[in-house]
Amino acid sequence: MTQFLQAVVLGLLIGGVYALMASGLTLIFGVMRIINIAQGAFLILVAMITWWLWHETGIDPILASVITAPLMFGFGWVVHRLLISRVSGESSSMSILLTFGFAMVIEGVLDITAGNRFRSATPSYFDESFRIGSVSLPKAQVFGFLAAVLVLAALYYVLTRTWTGRAIRAATQNPSGAALVGVGAAGTAALAFALGSATTGVGGSILSVLYPFFPASHYDWISRLLGIVVLGGMGSLPGALIGAGILGLAETLTATYGSLSWSTLVFYVVIMVVLLIRPQGLFGARLREDAA
Amino acid sequence: MLSMKAVFAGYGGGNVLQSVDLECAEQTITCIVGPNGAGKSTVLRVISGLLRPSAGEITMDGEAIGDQAPDEILRRGITQVPQSHALFPAMSVHENVLMGGYLIRKNRTLLRERLDMVKDRVPLVASRAGDHAGNLSGGQRRMVEIARCLMLDPKLILLDEPSLGLDPRSLAGVADLIHALHQEGTTVLLVEQNVRLGLGLATHGVVMEGGKVRLTGTAAAVKDDPEIASLYLGGTKAPPLNSPPAGQGTETTSV
Repeated sequence: MTQFLQAVVLGLLIGGVYALMASGLTLIFGVMRIINIAQGAFLILVAMITWWLWHETGIDPILASVITAPLMFGFGWVVHRLLISRVSGESSSMSILLTFGFAMVIEGVLDITAGNRFRSATPSYFDESFRIGSVSLPKAQVFGFLAAVLVLAALYYVLTRTWTGRAIRAATQNPSGAALVGVGAAGTAALAFALGSATTGVGGSILSVLYPFFPASHYDWISRLLGIVVLGGMGSLPGALIGAGILGLAETLTATYGSLSWSTLVFYVVIMVVLLIRPQGLFGARLREDAA
Repeated sequence: MLSMKAVFAGYGGGNVLQSVDLECAEQTITCIVGPNGAGKSTVLRVISGLLRPSAGEITMDGEAIGDQAPDEILRRGITQVPQSHALFPAMSVHENVLMGGYLIRKNRTLLRERLDMVKDRVPLVASRAGDHAGNLSGGQRRMVEIARCLMLDPKLILLDEPSLGLDPRSLAGVADLIHALHQEGTTVLLVEQNVRLGLGLATHGVVMEGGKVRLTGTAAAVKDDPEIASLYLGGTKAPPLNSPPAGQGTETTSV
């Protein structure tokens, strides 16, 4: 029983972090219908920057997201203006190729500048735990989870309570309807891409503490994120949250009762099963045609 | 007020509009009728800036607007209600209407005033405020679409097929609203397949065919034109102006 409870708690903690990482991917897809394959590479880039900041200054890696999140917001905005905007309106395969290529560029640059070896930020608390009864809660996971929840709450606030957020939601739900009330497509897309990138600014910092990483780790991460958003429904933010929770649980339960090496396979199995049974995912973003 | 001179426009290559001339005087309701593919909706898209004309001149109160972006045209007081799917289905009715005031979002007092005005005007906006727009009926959606475009207190409203897919009762509501807006001085340009309804509501009529304007005049004159009567009204003689549109007899409608 304790073992089960332990697995569930760990699954939910990691699910929260997955939710944050996937929220950016699904937000960008929702507004632009672009699958940003480079989202995983953004995470690793941030993890590397965080590691470096921590190594050089001793700053807490998770707190370093105060620096990396705005940095990635600006980075995302520039990347959208210089690269992504050029394929807007093209077929989705063009954007997949472009962002995949961009991910490889980031990987290559990290390879050359930082070297192809595993890294991990290890603040003082990284091997300590809180204990509640017989269940232990690793401090790093708890802090990571709290940071993720905080950022998701902020994202929710921006999307539902501000004009910027309303414009993003309007453009997601009905691009031509948004144009009719004066919401500019290009500006909204740049903002959504910048916001989506900013979430990796926090997600990557958390990643640097929770998981060892090296430049090519982004393939593994984008696969996980795709598994989550495909399960939840591409473009749906609530879907990404639920999908992340389910896959976090599935991963830790598989690791607990099966084996660690099988646990990452869960994501690929989920992608295949969802595509076969319910291609639109649990909360599939309804297209304009069926939204009536 | 609004004037189009020798306007050409189209989608990818060919021109749908072939030298269109059109005038909308202040405080009129102009109705464009014509067969499918005549370019009626394209005229509205060109005026609202969603489609850029390839040639010709469009002016609003004497100023050229042909090369302006949709938001600049909105700022000039021209709003459009398209045929369908204009709302944000997963947003509440309140938020949908609020989005109509996106361009005046920085002026909170004005925004609140307009919202109150729109609620007065279209009671549905207050009574169904919290409901998702995607859960409304076709008629209710159309009312919310029109309500949303009123947030900018437009001088000119472009309505694309306001009767499309509406039951008689909703249709009467929409017609009443258009009529009331006109009474208060708003200028309306509408496109309508339901010729009887459109010309019945309008003060002026425009007949389009093959991307060209074939006939213009007062609504009554257009309605009485023998060719129009035989083509669109199913007879050689137009019915009296006060007759209800086909299938819209209020006596037989139980509500």
